[in-house]
Amino acid sequence: MPMLVDLLGSQIVRTVMLGAALVGAVSGMVGVFAVLRRQSLLSDTISHAALPGVCLGFLLAGERDLTTIMLVALLTAMAAALSVLAIGRLTPLKTDAQLGIVLSVYFAVGVVLLSHIQAQGGGARAGITTFLFGQAAALSAQDLWVLGGVFAVATLFFVVLWKEIKLATFDPIAAAALGLPVRALELGLTVLLALTIVAGIQLVGVVLMVAVLIAPAVAARQWIGNLGAMTILAMGIGGLVGAGGALLSATGRGLATGPIVVLLASAVVLVSILAAPRRGVVWQALSAQLQRWRISGDRVLLAMDRLAAAHHDPDYPSEKGMLDTMLGRPLPGVMRRLEGQGLVRPVVHDPESSPHWVLTPAGRRRAEALRRTGHGPD
Amino acid sequence: MAGSADLHEPGFALHVEDLTVRYGSSIALWDIDLDVPPGRLVAIVGPNGSGKSTLLKSVMGLLRPVAGHIRIFGEPISRARSRVAYVHQRAEVDWDFPATVLEVVTMGLYRRIGWLRPVRKAHRQAALEALAEVGMEAFATRQIGQLSGGQQQRVFIARALIQQADLVLLDEPLAGVDAVSEDIILSLLRSLRDRGKSVVVVHHDLSTVRRRFDWMVLLNRRLIAQGEMRDVYTPANLKAAYGGQMAVFDAADADDPARSGRVGGQV
Ligand SMILES: Nc1ncnc2c1ncn2[C@@H]1O[C@H](COP(=O)(O)OP(=O)(O)OP(=O)(O)O)[C@@H](O)[C@H]1O
Ligand SMILES: [Mg+2]
Repeated sequence: MPMLVDLLGSQIVRTVMLGAALVGAVSGMVGVFAVLRRQSLLSDTISHAALPGVCLGFLLAGERDLTTIMLVALLTAMAAALSVLAIGRLTPLKTDAQLGIVLSVYFAVGVVLLSHIQAQGGGARAGITTFLFGQAAALSAQDLWVLGGVFAVATLFFVVLWKEIKLATFDPIAAAALGLPVRALELGLTVLLALTIVAGIQLVGVVLMVAVLIAPAVAARQWIGNLGAMTILAMGIGGLVGAGGALLSATGRGLATGPIVVLLASAVVLVSILAAPRRGVVWQALSAQLQRWRISGDRVLLAMDRLAAAHHDPDYPSEKGMLDTMLGRPLPGVMRRLEGQGLVRPVVHDPESSPHWVLTPAGRRRAEALRRTGHGPD
Repeated sequence: MAGSADLHEPGFALHVEDLTVRYGSSIALWDIDLDVPPGRLVAIVGPNGSGKSTLLKSVMGLLRPVAGHIRIFGEPISRARSRVAYVHQRAEVDWDFPATVLEVVTMGLYRRIGWLRPVRKAHRQAALEALAEVGMEAFATRQIGQLSGGQQQRVFIARALIQQADLVLLDEPLAGVDAVSEDIILSLLRSLRDRGKSVVVVHHDLSTVRRRFDWMVLLNRRLIAQGEMRDVYTPANLKAAYGGQMAVFDAADADDPARSGRVGGQV
């Protein structure tokens, strides 16, 4: 603990955490729309295509100057997005093949340039490899202004064009029919996506950047059915995960930031996919089980009601084996559930020792309702 | 503003002249001339792939035709957008999108609300009223993903109603819709027509089209026929539109050719 406090007290660590939080938040915001527009793979392509730009920017500036690097990386990232568009127009290739081709070609060029730069040797040049997996510690105080600028641009974009973007994302045909400039909005979103990716790669690296975009949005969607609230939650998740990852990677020397951030984000996604109400796996499994119990219970009540009617005895004790035979074995626990709900009552039926039950008055009422409304089997 | 001198065929709700539309090298519509008078309930009928959806998309300016022009109450779509509403096929959106029914209906007002202006209470009120017209007001706060197909269709129609357009185009609003939703939708379309609006519906079911619509456009890449239902709904026209897909006609039942044989069905 004292180590953590020391770390937080350090100016450098605070800079890094703030930068990572900004990157995470803007990724969460932009990522919501990338996910809703089914652009996960496009995001991955754009981010890999930033690598040649990073290298070219490095060669141009002759040093690790974030602004130059980002500008050139933005150019190659956008070039990749346009390449995908062009291949889609000119060839019959399916989307995944288009993306696969563009991703690998741009990334290959990037790796070649990277090797070239490294071969030149020199201390600063070695730092270029951190763009593969990210190194938050490399962030300087000036870089914060750049990241803050990207955050401001993205926020302004969404605040100003909120409802138009919402409609163009949900229903582009209706948006175009209303006369909204859907193409221009899509272009704006794509530029913003590339800008966000380029802003994030110093911290997260080109290889894993897509996870930081996608994970907060996927997690947020699990909990929330409102676009605005979902976006804010995704920003929060992204910001926390970014800052947390930066802090953790700062504690261990040379630990790349990207993988840590991605692992944290994946943990949040996992919890959300499991535990979220309604959409969560656990919730769905539970409600499916409840449903099965209810149906099975209804079948038991109807069967007991039928037995009672056949024997002209409302208090006819139904035997377990008999019910099993009629229903093909109800779910385990169903009788106990019915007892708990006060619909059936266990009775001893001498001289037999097997379990027997009778319908309680409440059980008879429910069975009768089932018979009348036709819900349940038969 | 355009003076009336700029208007071309303003007497028609929809005027289409020499329209040809192509997707790549395949021709979807060929040299269509079409006039829809105002205040009609119009069915566009034709076999699969005959260009019905393409026609509506061309009218909305969503496709660029290779030839011809289209006018809505005499004006090109760019100047008539506020007078026309369009309900596209239901399958064309992501129904898992995080939005409520009320939000989706409000989207019909986004253009009228304008850039930089937020959705206000009055807009939501209008959306609630549109929802009430389609019998969906109880679902206002429901997620759109949690609706049945017929309910989704009614929400889309509410989104068109809220635009208070004079011409409403609907692409297969009755496809995959149960009897309750169908009744609601049809009586709504009739009441629009009775209020003087023009309603153009792509319709697939030949056996019901005659009872439900009063004007018919028969299409199969080319225009086969157009006009009053009783004039257009003839064995000869249907045969021309459905061609080889048409089974033999029973002359005795020529009064209702759809009943005889298997018009429009698979052969
Ligand atoms: N985006 C597209 N790209 C290429 N061809 C298309 C496209 N959309 C439609 N077509 C073709 O154009 C023709 C007309 O299609 P359209 O969707 O207008 O027919 P439709 O009458 O609405 O058919 P359906 O009854 O099946 O809805 C079809 O042959 C179709 O294959
Ligand atoms: Mg169609």
